Amino acid sequence: MPIHEESLIRPENLTTQENLVIDGIDVSGHWSTFIESRVITDYNEDIQDEIAALPGGELIHRCWQCGSCTNSCTVNEVNPEFNPRHWIYLIRTGMESELIRDKDIIWQCVSCNKCTYACPRDVFPEGVMKATAHWLHMKGHTPKSPSTIFDEVFTEQVVATGKIEEGRTLRRFLQRTGQSLFQGWIIAMTKLMVRHLPVGMLTRMGLSAVVAPRTRGWSQAGKALQNYIDEREAEHHQALNLTAGAVATEREEG
Amino acid sequence: MSAGNSKYKKVAYYPGCALEGTAHAYNRSTKAVGKKLGLDLVEVKDWNCCGAMEVKNVDPKIQTYLSSRVMSIAANEMDMDVVMSPCNGCYHNLKKAEYELANDQDTVDVVGQLSKDAGHANYEAGQVETIHALDWIKEAIGEEGLAAQVKNSLSGIKIANYYGCMYTRPRHIFPEKDAGPGSESTLKPHFMDDLLAAAGAENVEFPLKTACCGGAHTLSDSDMSTRLVLNILRAAEASGAEVIATECPTCHTGLEMHQVRAEEVLGEKTNVKILYFTQLLGLAMGLKPRKVGIQENISDSMEFLKERGLA
Repeated sequence: MPIHEESLIRPENLTTQENLVIDGIDVSGHWSTFIESRVITDYNEDIQDEIAALPGGELIHRCWQCGSCTNSCTVNEVNPEFNPRHWIYLIRTGMESELIRDKDIIWQCVSCNKCTYACPRDVFPEGVMKATAHWLHMKGHTPKSPSTIFDEVFTEQVVATGKIEEGRTLRRFLQRTGQSLFQGWIIAMTKLMVRHLPVGMLTRMGLSAVVAPRTRGWSQAGKALQNYIDEREAEHHQALNLTAGAVATEREEG
Repeated sequence: MSAGNSKYKKVAYYPGCALEGTAHAYNRSTKAVGKKLGLDLVEVKDWNCCGAMEVKNVDPKIQTYLSSRVMSIAANEMDMDVVMSPCNGCYHNLKKAEYELANDQDTVDVVGQLSKDAGHANYEAGQVETIHALDWIKEAIGEEGLAAQVKNSLSGIKIANYYGCMYTRPRHIFPEKDAGPGSESTLKPHFMDDLLAAAGAENVEFPLKTACCGGAHTLSDSDMSTRLVLNILRAAEASGAEVIATECPTCHTGLEMHQVRAEEVLGEKTNVKILYFTQLLGLAMGLKPRKVGIQENISDSMEFLKERGLA
């Protein structure tokens, strides 16, 4: 089964003796390379159900491993380690420790939906990537990814005011991820913007930075959404068997 | 003026958040082009954010609710049949909400409850038709009607048409696409090419029409976005394009931002100009650069436009 082997052949599973002579034959260097045998005992039989309980992961069971998702993937083209087909395989077989090896890149899915377009089984791999990224931080394997923090900053603003003011979202995101607003490229871009903008536009932008634009009559909708988000969050924690304590910590961090 | 389809001559206009911020030039040029073509845009009252690409990652049904509220206002409070959005994100989300509400009972229940709690009329699938600004001009005016309005032909200007992800993917939320001759293609879209060709432009063969600019991670994974954008800019230049025409505020801003960032961070300079298709159409119809918001773009194309007799 070629798919299974891929996760076994990693640099740390390969052993090579620098100097080795067996029965008078010199097999030093790569002639003595062999793959160490492994016994996997830590199958997590719940992982597929847990990911299927999070938004986007519902249809993971439909996957038949054709690889169309990885083949069409935008991020895979930049980073060959980014492999949705492989991760879906690991989740479906319960190989949690193998999945966790790639924990720091799974969130990098750019949601271009080329995989969704290509998938012959309607697995919705884009959603599975998002669900897996959530699963990783909810289970404490990773801190919240910059992408998740951005989603939260954005959603909070929409729930609060009904609208987005991009400058505010940018500042809050950089603040929450501990980044400086004064990065070379942001300064270069701002200079370009200011150079051509007429006074009226600058005033409007300045104003919206102070007074956030709001949708008229939004407060009731905002409250309804916040209630719904809280309910769903509690459901997700329950699905992942996280204790009440874990829920509290999670919220405090958020 | 050509006959056109009268159904699209008066539509509910949903600009969305980006068009009130970084993409104000798209808002300005869309309205200016509409006015010049005698089309009537009635802005959706008290509209809200559609959820963009972020809210669905918190919960997809909230995103569906947000989009349904916009359609509900257009249908139930304004009695409109068509909602037009120039923003790919808004357009995509409204189409997706339409699909979910027509096909998923869970979503219908959740959205119904949220609408009730929020105190407004529920949106039911089929009440409005959502279209993109490209559909709007193509349907209401058509290529011939547009060609008749052209004062400064775009002739000799080599354009790469860039549509991005959300205009065509995933395919199932766009049932009217890939529907035979004349319909839009999800694999090789051509509506923007058609309109710009009618205005005289020379469209180049551009292989990355529906490639991803990394817009979802413009800030959260800037290095990835810069690489993806640089790839698009370079491919456009290699295709012989002088201008990339855009029809999405996220793509447009992403291309502009990361063109600057690629130069700042990677030392990779590209010279291709980035303009909204509505800016190009407006200029072709004789509108002044200021009327279509050329000064509001981050990338500077004034000199180029002057050289070509468009400004």
